[in-house]
Amino acid sequence: MIAEVKPTATATLTLDGVEVSFTEGETIYEVAERAGREVPTLCYDARLEAFGGCRLCVVEVDGMRAPVASCTTPATAGMVVKTTTDAIEKHRRTLLELVASENRENEVDELRGHASQELKSLLDRYEVRGGRFAGRQSGTSNSTDDNPFILRDYDLCISCYRCVRVCAEQEGDHAITMMNRGFEKQITTEFNGILKDSACTFCGQCVQTCPTGALGDRKAMRAESLPGEVEKTRTVCPYCGVGCSVDLLTKEDRLVGVQPAMDGPANEGALCIKGQFAFDFVQHEDRLKMPLVRDEDGELHETDWETALDRAADGFKKAAGEHGRHAVYGVASGRAPHEAAYTMQKFIRAGFGTHQIDNCSRA
Amino acid sequence: MATNQELIEQWWKEEAPLLPLLHAFHDRDGFISEEAIRAVADGLKIPVAEVFGTVTFYHHFARKAPGQAAPRVCTGPACKYLGAPELLKSLEGATPMACAGRCDDGVPVLQGHEVRVGRTADSLEKTPSPLPPPNPGNVEECVFAHIREPERNTMEGYRGYEALEKARGMSRANLLALITDSHLAGRGGAGFPTGKKWEMVEQAEGEPKSIVCNADEGEPGCFKDRAILDYDPHAVIEGMAIAAHATGATKGFIYLRYEYPETFQIVERAMAEAEELLGDGFKLYLRRGGGAYICGEEGSLLNSLEGKHPFPRNRPPFPVTHGYNDLPTVVNNVETLASVAPIVMKGAEWYRGLGLGEHAGTKLVSVSGDIQRPGNFEAPFGLPLLTLLNEWCGGAPEGRSIQAVTMAGVSGGFLAGDDLDVTLDEPSIRAKGAFLGAAGIMVFDDTRDMVEVAHCAMEFFAEESCGKCFPCRIGTQRLTERLNGAAGPADETKWREEVHDIGRTMMATSACGLGVAAPNITESLVKYFPEQVAASLKNGR
Repeated sequence: MIAEVKPTATATLTLDGVEVSFTEGETIYEVAERAGREVPTLCYDARLEAFGGCRLCVVEVDGMRAPVASCTTPATAGMVVKTTTDAIEKHRRTLLELVASENRENEVDELRGHASQELKSLLDRYEVRGGRFAGRQSGTSNSTDDNPFILRDYDLCISCYRCVRVCAEQEGDHAITMMNRGFEKQITTEFNGILKDSACTFCGQCVQTCPTGALGDRKAMRAESLPGEVEKTRTVCPYCGVGCSVDLLTKEDRLVGVQPAMDGPANEGALCIKGQFAFDFVQHEDRLKMPLVRDEDGELHETDWETALDRAADGFKKAAGEHGRHAVYGVASGRAPHEAAYTMQKFIRAGFGTHQIDNCSRA
Repeated sequence: MATNQELIEQWWKEEAPLLPLLHAFHDRDGFISEEAIRAVADGLKIPVAEVFGTVTFYHHFARKAPGQAAPRVCTGPACKYLGAPELLKSLEGATPMACAGRCDDGVPVLQGHEVRVGRTADSLEKTPSPLPPPNPGNVEECVFAHIREPERNTMEGYRGYEALEKARGMSRANLLALITDSHLAGRGGAGFPTGKKWEMVEQAEGEPKSIVCNADEGEPGCFKDRAILDYDPHAVIEGMAIAAHATGATKGFIYLRYEYPETFQIVERAMAEAEELLGDGFKLYLRRGGGAYICGEEGSLLNSLEGKHPFPRNRPPFPVTHGYNDLPTVVNNVETLASVAPIVMKGAEWYRGLGLGEHAGTKLVSVSGDIQRPGNFEAPFGLPLLTLLNEWCGGAPEGRSIQAVTMAGVSGGFLAGDDLDVTLDEPSIRAKGAFLGAAGIMVFDDTRDMVEVAHCAMEFFAEESCGKCFPCRIGTQRLTERLNGAAGPADETKWREEVHDIGRTMMATSACGLGVAAPNITESLVKYFPEQVAASLKNGR
């Protein structure tokens, strides 16, 4: 049955004195963001279910006894919302001072991850210099997990649970969990172990949504001490056919890391372990840069494309000639696009007359 | 001994299976092993990491031997002055636990499925929890009217569900109108009108609907639900069945705190006795918590029942439309439900008339601490606090005077000095900056160090904070550190400024009542006892 299309009811609310319209189901935060208000938050990630943990996005709503978290409060018609009163701004500053007080440090290299500067930016915006609310620090870094991809520097963890939620809601791995409660809360894996022994697939999404750099991209962090600014170049991941948008991170002429594009239409911030961490081949010394052919001396020698392709064609012809058309078997690369896969099967079927064609993605 | 598979077979198809299944392993092995967590995760199809995280959330789920077999000693604010710290030291392998609801005859020691009570290791004895004393004011009661009758906690002593029969003869609309008209409101502390809540559930779309009895009494200084369930459990079950009839609910849950193992058995027996009277249309389940104060918050309680991480839920939506399994659910406190059957029998006007002046109905009050006659009392709303303390409870111990009392357990903070001259009703107590809540009142005499008492209360909040929201998770920790001098400024002005800033932001922005209420402790401490604060800072506390 085709659903009846109803015209969207336009309701309005008053946001900082201005009437704005919204559609049913939107939260105050979403309405405010659309209207260009910069409501601060640390636990919000547009891809995840609103959580309401950091309380920085609180706003005043007429008729409510206390401020409400705008990220979890649905907009309703006629609501009168104030996003930046003096009282609200003071609470936000106090909250930020509290958060700043629980960490070893609040400034980290941007190479740690896509969202790693969020806390630092808010501390700057609210001119929080630290020092107030001194006391014990929360979270214990995991120094035994020596996996090559993900740094678990929980001394910087602020328990926003974005990593836990992205792992469950976006990746579906449920590898990350929350141990204990209150100030003793510790982000970890099952039985407080290492990632390798958990359900983790090393997709890196937890790293990229972490707002403090408590989770760090170890591969990118190798380049922290290299000179130069980090530049981002938008492109498409070269691995499979999904077409995930990525930002390649470079310092001068060197590729130093990969970050998923949060607005990538195919991936919305998601990547897999290969797209996220497997880029070393680009600058690897073993990488083939020229075609090679094996000469009579048994060694491989650099040559030009013309020679190499002729040699390959001769080989195929010889094999088919001596052993018949079924002596040839084609395997197309999963990294190639549809069009190339189509050409490949045409080449095998029409060219050699065999159905022995496959794609490596099937393996 | 049951195998993993047998335990899973027993529970996986049941309602709300995670907690009882974890208890089954905990009881079998004395602790919850890694193997048990994997088996539970596999059996209930919940990710291992999630089950692990949830197990670590609850205080009483041990993960290694001796686990359940080791004694746990209540170190709540009342027991602390009854010798709990010394008792804790003298019992081998003992660990502390938060207030376990025996403030009227502490100190309780929980070991396995048994609570023993005493002030020293030699005097520990398994005794029934104290029965509420006869009403000292000789006023008419509702909830406690029959509680002192012998065998009242059996069906024979309770003499059948007359009120349920009467209610089932009434239309839903008339029954809802009766409860609304009685002005009965949530006795767990929130005070939401019960009739209104039931009506919202009755009208909400979605089935099956549930009635959840919140018996996760965890507030320090509150032990009234224990008394009701130990001595009059049928009143609660009958109240739930009447609520089910009024709302169309077909399922009911009693969520009982971990620390009342004997109560669990009493309620279990009563449920078995009631099964026939409840009929096929209303199925009742008993679930035991794992030791977490926050599970008394209704969102956490529902998450806990459903087997999720027990964080509070964001509101809206509310449980009346999105409760157990996201379906319409009544969540009522034990005392609220126990008031229902008498109201059905005697009428709304009778119940309203029990209160003094313009106030309707009664409130159970738990009094403990430095007081001659501690215990549970049913007071009419509007009773002067000093009448309760001095006349009903005999005042402070010989030769001492009352320095301060807590309100709402510890959540309401302190009342002291002239502010003790107040009547027991929410508007009057709120006017003093505190609140009545579940009406646990702990008394501290003039020999007590109020900064130390405040620290004990704040430490409780810090340990029980769930960790979901920033202001509560960090704020309770920072306030605790400022009350015992572990961190924070030594300069009094700066100290007060920090404590006040933290408190104000916690009150305004915390996600649930725990973080909103916790700073009442520090705010009222500074208000009533500035000299003690100054002296403690001077002494380098």
